[in-house]
Amino acid sequence: MNEERVKTFTAEVAEMKLRGARADRERLLLAVGVVALVAGVGLAVFGGFQASGTLELGDQVAYLATGTFIGLALVVAGTALFVRYSVARFMRFWLVRLVHEHRSETDRVVEALKSLENKLGK
Amino acid sequence: MSPLLELRGIRAGYDAIEVLHGVDLVVQPGQVVALLGPNGAGKSTTLKVVSGLVTPTGGQLWMAGRDVTGVSADALARVGVCTIPEGRGIFPNLTVRENLLMATFGGSRLSDIEESAYGRFPRLAERRTQLAGTMSGGEQQMLSLARALASDPALLLLDEMSMGLAPRIVSELYEQVGRIAADGVSVLVIEQFARTVLGVADWAVVMSHGTVQAAGPAAQIGEDVLADAYLGQRG
Repeated sequence: MNEERVKTFTAEVAEMKLRGARADRERLLLAVGVVALVAGVGLAVFGGFQASGTLELGDQVAYLATGTFIGLALVVAGTALFVRYSVARFMRFWLVRLVHEHRSETDRVVEALKSLENKLGK
Repeated sequence: MSPLLELRGIRAGYDAIEVLHGVDLVVQPGQVVALLGPNGAGKSTTLKVVSGLVTPTGGQLWMAGRDVTGVSADALARVGVCTIPEGRGIFPNLTVRENLLMATFGGSRLSDIEESAYGRFPRLAERRTQLAGTMSGGEQQMLSLARALASDPALLLLDEMSMGLAPRIVSELYEQVGRIAADGVSVLVIEQFARTVLGVADWAVVMSHGTVQAAGPAAQIGEDVLADAYLGQRG
């Protein structure tokens, strides 16, 4: 028996970094993106309203700085996360679909070739 | 030596539906373990848990003495857990040689892979330039076995290898599985047609309704145990 392979396997499993499945992390980051996007829009609107509701320049700057600008930053970051992880999921499904279609296409070609072969044989 | 693979009270399923209700299973190094049972017994889900494709909701998955529950499928594949899925695990629109070329991603050289593949399955050598999708079912299964072996697996997971194949081809393929195990590769094989695999298996586990109904040396799994699992418990 090849004990060497078992030893290598044991060593590699022992060195393996344990972390949650990648799909879970993707789902989490997608959710973080959506939350950041919604919170960012909320903050930006809040900052805008508060800034326009006062004549004090200092208050206006503070509202814009802490509300609108941070809100906009969250919107940008949230959108980036959302697009990155939703596109990744879409692309994966698309790839699986493509492989599946390719296989059925080949099956059809093989089927057609077989029926031609049978007809020619006869 | 600790078992190469051990499932301890594994519970798993798909969303709200639980398919496995506490499955225990052990595979020792170099052993061929047959996972038997009727359709819907949870065999394929068990295999998906082992390969990391389905994360268990309960219980633990151990490999070589370490708890690896929840580890991703790609990490497990990298250390040597190799799955041959039900049906075809090949690229039908590529030739035999191109299919083997796809196995070089792991770092092996094409010439080495070809030597080992054609050595085990001389019929593949005759068909090296043929499109894989145009070969017979048995030859396609040989190709997927050859490609799997190119990745130098420590644990080979085979799902329903006999699907749609003639009995003679099936026994030929299982002879190869026996030889692979003799080389030190542990094999967990799912089979709906019990008799075809019990000849090469060291240990057999019979599943039904997501639980293990019986387990023991393959030679001792009797017709009555199989009949109970496949046809339901007798009154």
